[in-house]
Amino acid sequence: MTVSGKLAEPVRGQVDADGMLLSADPLLMRLHLRSGGAEGGPLAVPELAEICRISRRLGMNLSRAAQASDDDCRIDMWVETRFVASDREQPLSLAIIDWKERPYDDSDKIDPARERDFDRLEGRGAIRTDTALRIIALQMPDGSGQLSDAIGQSLLDIYDVIPPSAHARLLEAVAERQPIRNQRMREKGGSQRLFLFQGQPLIDKAGIFAGYRFTAVPDDPEASGPEAKAMTGKLISDNLFGFQLGPALRQPLGKIIANAETISSKLQGPLRGDYASYAKDIASAGRHLLDLVNDLSDLEAIERPEFTVAADDIDLVDLAHRAAGLLAVKASDHQIRIDLPDENGKLPARGEFRRSLQILVNLIGNAIRYSPDGSVIKVRVSGDEEFARVSVTDQGDGIAAEDQDRIFEKFERLGRSGDGGSGLGLFISRRLAHAMGGSLTVDSVAGKGATFTLSLPHRKEP
Amino acid sequence: MNETMNMDIIRHASAIADKASFIAEDFAQVLFPKTSVIFNDRMRSNARQYLRSVIGQVEQQICAIATDELGVTQDMLQKIANGGEGQSYRVLEDSGLFKTVEIVQHLFIKAQQSELAARLLQKISQQDLEATLTRHLDHQDPVVAEAAMGLLVAQSKTTGAAGEIAASLADLSAEMTYAFAWPVTASLARLSGLSGPQLQQASERFLAAHDESAGVDRKASRLAQLVEQSGTGEDNIPHPMRDGLALFIARLARQTGLTSNQIVTFTAEPNMARFVVAMRAADFPVQEALSVFAALDGGDHILTAATYREADRDRALALVSSWTAPDAYQNAKRILGDDSLGDRGK
Repeated sequence: MTVSGKLAEPVRGQVDADGMLLSADPLLMRLHLRSGGAEGGPLAVPELAEICRISRRLGMNLSRAAQASDDDCRIDMWVETRFVASDREQPLSLAIIDWKERPYDDSDKIDPARERDFDRLEGRGAIRTDTALRIIALQMPDGSGQLSDAIGQSLLDIYDVIPPSAHARLLEAVAERQPIRNQRMREKGGSQRLFLFQGQPLIDKAGIFAGYRFTAVPDDPEASGPEAKAMTGKLISDNLFGFQLGPALRQPLGKIIANAETISSKLQGPLRGDYASYAKDIASAGRHLLDLVNDLSDLEAIERPEFTVAADDIDLVDLAHRAAGLLAVKASDHQIRIDLPDENGKLPARGEFRRSLQILVNLIGNAIRYSPDGSVIKVRVSGDEEFARVSVTDQGDGIAAEDQDRIFEKFERLGRSGDGGSGLGLFISRRLAHAMGGSLTVDSVAGKGATFTLSLPHRKEP
Repeated sequence: MNETMNMDIIRHASAIADKASFIAEDFAQVLFPKTSVIFNDRMRSNARQYLRSVIGQVEQQICAIATDELGVTQDMLQKIANGGEGQSYRVLEDSGLFKTVEIVQHLFIKAQQSELAARLLQKISQQDLEATLTRHLDHQDPVVAEAAMGLLVAQSKTTGAAGEIAASLADLSAEMTYAFAWPVTASLARLSGLSGPQLQQASERFLAAHDESAGVDRKASRLAQLVEQSGTGEDNIPHPMRDGLALFIARLARQTGLTSNQIVTFTAEPNMARFVVAMRAADFPVQEALSVFAALDGGDHILTAATYREADRDRALALVSSWTAPDAYQNAKRILGDDSLGDRGK
């Protein structure tokens, strides 16, 4: 829900002497809950809580501007506090007389849901904090433990900074609203898991600092696992990419990409135009290398005998929309429209969420790569008793009949080069589809486009 | 010389002797200022006049509550409550209690605002300036029109005549009212000899009744917020001659993420350099920026189009963003970066 106008009636709430939100109108309650608050709990909107604290400390009524934000929008408010009775221990009444919601600047910010899909696709966790580093949203990768109590707590109460870095350095970066790169953090409490944090300050168009968005990648999670121990003593293991080169390459590549993006976006200051273009090229080449590392790691993973996939309850319509959302910017760069099935439809299937999304991103990404600018890519779903299917049809050059088997082979590029592909995507996608009990097929006539169809076991909804 | 006179001069001489050690300190501040901001005689006079007026009003209000609502019957308090001459300023003036950063900064802002108003009046008539306030009264959004009316009413209540400093309790923020109220209460307790809790209760009531929403600054900030939300085209570039001083400052503050007090401070600095950078960061078109500069400049400084254009906007944005950091952090960073710390500062 978005409130675009001003209010005829103020949004009201009451806060007691301990800062607990005793009552709130629906808009305020929604913001409070989205900020990590609970009904009857402490007022969780930091900007409002601060005004209440000042009001109570002075014993005076205040009238001030405030800005708050949630995942969807930034809210400009004009807030007035009033003591209900002369007794200062009595509840404080909050009246928000202006309430204007505005979406984040689309050109600068990715849709939060889309960003979460990216994180899930790449096995990353995501944490959103307010300006005081209090956690207001958290989604961690599988197996990292339940941290539902973390909402509302300081990030540094949940994670320890791992030496040689220090709390002070992290706080200094936050105070200067600087990006935070490759910060190693250890989860406090039982699990003690290690993560590598990347943090981006959230700053709106008016230059106002709104908090941080962190991504957290398990820091070399498999290196301490049983497989890693088993390979001790070998100079190069059988799992070269998964356990050795992959993690070792991802970190420096990530640094190269992040720094090149920082340079090209001129975040640290002005730059000559051609230098910004060079930095973009560096970032682009870095991303290509990172994709290759990821592909090789996947390749190695799926060829291991112990490779298994999860059997999640998934919906292919939902997955198609998510995959298209992830590639929306790339498609729009080429004026390509992705024609998707009706969003309200459903096609239940069984397969691992992340792996199915990975296949669809690969199929739609290939379709964008090999389609002419301004064309349409059609994504359709169908199903029968046994299988649910999602197909991706492009208007590219198509694939000759004699090449249709070869394209699913390792490193097969059909003579193409320089387009950013590694020749592994379709091989990996087909192997993943098979591992999930499904299949990946192609139907094409040279010169008339191609249709790739992913079939996964149908799931009957109760 | 008779005996009374003798006693007076002895008392006077002792009082001077008590303060003698501060002569060098005062003179040093005049000789070796730490900033390049020039405080002219009119600013000093205005600041004193403003402080005296505010203290008098706070004192009168507290005495009125004590006598009328709490039934205190004490001659001095009753006289002050009825509009008699205030006593607290005299006591507090030399006490050092006004030398807090918070109060002195407030006085400086008020004095500089008065300077800006005087400068503006050299370029636009009082009548035309007042007419700017009616600009938003017929805004299509009734909330904006209502807020504009609120600002108009608040401005009409300020007591200063044209070009003179205005001192109105309603214009004080909650923090400043609090900062003034308690020293005044302490001085009244000392002067009246009242030892009971009535004066403290009177002050608490005075503070609880204070409504900062009625002040010009708050009204201007709210109107700025609403105008910025709905503004398009030409309306989107604030100008003191179109908006009036208070709304202009509030709008520029909002567009840059700075506070209104920072904007006012920037206008007192040499060549208004930070003010120009703030306009550049807010992406003021060249002609608008030059016009605003000319409207607020108090000397013969000229901002040229070339100078303004040469200021890189990305760098201006980065600078303005760094000025939005909390004061305590900016101060600490400056001190730590100071060469005087030597190796300890590394």
